[in-house]
Amino acid sequence: MKALLAVLIIAVLFGLNVWLYRANKKTPVPAGCENLRPECNACGIRDCAMRGQFTSGGKEDNHGNH
Amino acid sequence: MQLFTMFISAMLINNIILSKFLGMCPFMGVSTRLENAVGMGVAVIFVIFGASVLSWFLYYYVLVPLHLEYMELICFILLIAAFVQFVEMFIKKNSPGLYKQLGIYLPLITTNCAVLYVAQDNITQGYNLLETMVNSVAVPAGFMLMLCIFACIRERLQGNDVPKAFEGNPIAFIIAAIMAVAFTSLSGLV
Repeated sequence: MKALLAVLIIAVLFGLNVWLYRANKKTPVPAGCENLRPECNACGIRDCAMRGQFTSGGKEDNHGNH
Repeated sequence: MQLFTMFISAMLINNIILSKFLGMCPFMGVSTRLENAVGMGVAVIFVIFGASVLSWFLYYYVLVPLHLEYMELICFILLIAAFVQFVEMFIKKNSPGLYKQLGIYLPLITTNCAVLYVAQDNITQGYNLLETMVNSVAVPAGFMLMLCIFACIRERLQGNDVPKAFEGNPIAFIIAAIMAVAFTSLSGLV
């Protein structure tokens, strides 16, 4: 019974995540905010999920991290 | 008085960046300009406060009554991710001005381990709701303070003649280390 409850809680939280993620993606970005880019020079962590957003035209805006 | 002591301790003495070395990614990445540092700092305070209070309620009103305390880590991760998505969506819909300032930093915060640390720390320390709220403001306030100080130093460094080998992140890490040493002197404050 406890295991079932545990699975249920995880399922609810996971479902909430998926629903909010999809709802967030569907919500239109306010006018003038379409091309906002964080001016992050990155920290050298190659597998950072956000890293792709900090690159422009395939050229990384990163100093001294190789 | 105890809450004030707790606030100062969490903000300055046990600073999350300089003593715990958490949240180093945004600390290094978003500290090149003061404007960005302030935006990121405000967003971190908002998200850590909201996520920690929600996590506290989830733990004490769902996990503890069901004797599922061992699931706190996975539940907090999912809750924080969902909360950040919700906040981003809410700001997009209701406050375009705020989104323009904070929106770009919100996805970054999802990957900030400091958020999870504060949520778990509140539970492991056995804080009540008020203490949780104070700690959840103090820790990110300390993060923002360090981020702003560091951004000011890095802005000034841009005009300086730094040796080639130390350009970029190496000199930034050296500065962070000196800052950490300086802040250890505050340990006798409280």
